Amino acid sequence: MKKSLSITRRLTVTVLALEFLSAMALISAITIHEWHVQLKAFDSSLEASAESLMGAVQDAEDEGDNVMLDMRGVHLGKNAIYRVKDERGRVLGSAGGLPSLELPLAPEHVFRNVDISGRSYRFFVLHGLRIVDPGEPNGGTPHSITIIYGTPIEHVWHEVIESIRFFAIATAVLLGVTALIMAWSVRAVLSPVNELAREAERISARDWHFDAPRSAKETVELRPLAAALEAALARLQGSFDQQRRFTNDAAHELKTDVAIVKSSLQLLSMRKRTVEEYGQGLALSLDDFTRLEMTVQKMLTLARLEQQPIENHRSGAEVQYCSLRDVIEDAMHQSKPLAELKAITVVFEYAADAKVPIDNRDALLLCSNILLNALQHSPNGATVRIAMTVNDEAWLTIEDQGGGVSDEDRAHVFEPFYRGDPSRSRRSGGTGLGLSICKAICERAGGSIEIENRVAGGALVRVKLPAELSEAIHSSSAQLKEQ
Amino acid sequence: MRVLLIEDEQRLAENIVAALRETGLAVDYALDGETGSHLAEQGVYDAIVLDLMLPGKSGQHVLRDLRREKLHTPVLILTAQEGKESIVGLLNAGADDYLSKPFDLGELLARIKALIRRAKGVSNPILTVSDVELNTVQQTVRRRDQLIDLSPTEYRILEYLIHRPRAIVSKQELLEHLYDFDWEHHSNVIEAHVSNLRRKLNIAGTEPLIETLRHRGYRLRDEIAVL
Repeated sequence: MKKSLSITRRLTVTVLALEFLSAMALISAITIHEWHVQLKAFDSSLEASAESLMGAVQDAEDEGDNVMLDMRGVHLGKNAIYRVKDERGRVLGSAGGLPSLELPLAPEHVFRNVDISGRSYRFFVLHGLRIVDPGEPNGGTPHSITIIYGTPIEHVWHEVIESIRFFAIATAVLLGVTALIMAWSVRAVLSPVNELAREAERISARDWHFDAPRSAKETVELRPLAAALEAALARLQGSFDQQRRFTNDAAHELKTDVAIVKSSLQLLSMRKRTVEEYGQGLALSLDDFTRLEMTVQKMLTLARLEQQPIENHRSGAEVQYCSLRDVIEDAMHQSKPLAELKAITVVFEYAADAKVPIDNRDALLLCSNILLNALQHSPNGATVRIAMTVNDEAWLTIEDQGGGVSDEDRAHVFEPFYRGDPSRSRRSGGTGLGLSICKAICERAGGSIEIENRVAGGALVRVKLPAELSEAIHSSSAQLKEQ
Repeated sequence: MRVLLIEDEQRLAENIVAALRETGLAVDYALDGETGSHLAEQGVYDAIVLDLMLPGKSGQHVLRDLRREKLHTPVLILTAQEGKESIVGLLNAGADDYLSKPFDLGELLARIKALIRRAKGVSNPILTVSDVELNTVQQTVRRRDQLIDLSPTEYRILEYLIHRPRAIVSKQELLEHLYDFDWEHHSNVIEAHVSNLRRKLNIAGTEPLIETLRHRGYRLRDEIAVL
């Protein structure tokens, strides 16, 4: 199995590690503290024992006013080593082998650690004064007594280790409990994630519906994820639906055209006909077929336009520029028959030419589609006005005096196969792809196209394209060309 | 038999109309839903061919309104839409058959004829009444195995009458079901055709098949004593 990352495990391990580290720190602190406390207690007991030895130094009933050690009633620690000396170096009493200790010259109380045959001992050196017969007129005989008393220090260590063990066990128990609680609580905390995943699992190509579970929406950390999922899916569904609609519409369009061609030919072959009838029938069939061909061609154009940007970016193909003015004039020339048929005046106003990053063919397609659209929607004898302004971008506006667009249509006119009439009646001509092709051309060039209604009536198509100002024609006065 | 075609695609409508007329059916057609619905609800049609995507009123609504008016004219749906659900929905809404575009013209004609036949309570394409046999596929008529040569109109009158045995069929009804709006028609045209038809059917050794009931119409005699 591949190494996977578990949040539960990570969190648990992190918490346990932190807990372990703090326990370690705590134990260290406690060890130091305990050592001091125990040492102090140990030292006090050493002092006490030394003091009791001091107390056991008695007045010996002899003529030299000597002192002696009376060990009755004195309880000393096990393995204790001591030596009691008087000022003349006479040993009053001792136990155990006392090592030679480096004692300071000044008579002060000191502690010393010494290793005796592998055991650590701590000694206390007590200097005391024993006055024999203090009631005598000379004030008695003072005896300066030095007591060295020591016991093994093991005891301190033992106490410290005992307390460390206690804390270690407590820590281990605490860690175990924490691990269990963590495992349970992390699972509980992560349950919204699982619910989110379960809900997301339900998404399929057929059903894009996704409602983030409430638990996920109520979790602050998951809210952005849930919202992002919802938004992404909504967008995906939108484009998926659009794609499906396009496919359905395209199929509908093609099937209808094919049905016409097929029925025309089948009608012709239903029975034997005269040569004239065949001729007429074939001419009609050819017209029907031309329409089918046009539909296919436009679909292919749209497909090409929508695919190309990616290919262009990949191959790094050089962008072709064309003169927008020339293209518009070509488009006007192309649409002249229709304009003349409807007695429509086409006016083209421009101050400067612009070079736009579209190849000639597509630019002509763009301009003639918009122009034909304007002509088709204009009443007879009207005027269609084309205006071009260039600054950083090329702005192209085409105004007609037709019925304009309804608000409902305006949102959809650039969608493939969209027609104002839901039945998609084709009597108005066209396949419903013209404006979609325009939009694809504009967007591929990095521009935009929109349609709005003029206050004076009629529609206004506004095209924005990135442009290079063509220096060749930069006339100061506006040229007006009328067709 | 008179058929109504509701189809907004002009060229397709023209082709279907021409084909239907060539097979001897009277055809009216409407290019939008409103007109189509209005015509369909007159109840003079023996079958309706209905496109779904129509301007004005969708095919679904035309069908729904037709059935709401308690008209049982058989309806064949022409559709370019995909999806079985819509077909199931349409059949459940009262459609009798459907063809998806692009369809075969011959199949469309055969289905329309079958719909008309079934609506009249017959499923066999060969109709018989007493000793007369009418083949709706070949459009031929035989009496006692003798081929009788009829004009298209005479054939259509006989076909219509055979579909309504023993019923009195008025001249008006014949006019409504045999002619579409493109024809100039008068009731005496019917009289002339019926008289010719009766004469042609009257071969030696048979009794007259068609009865004339004055001011009421015509009736096909079902039981004729075989001589």
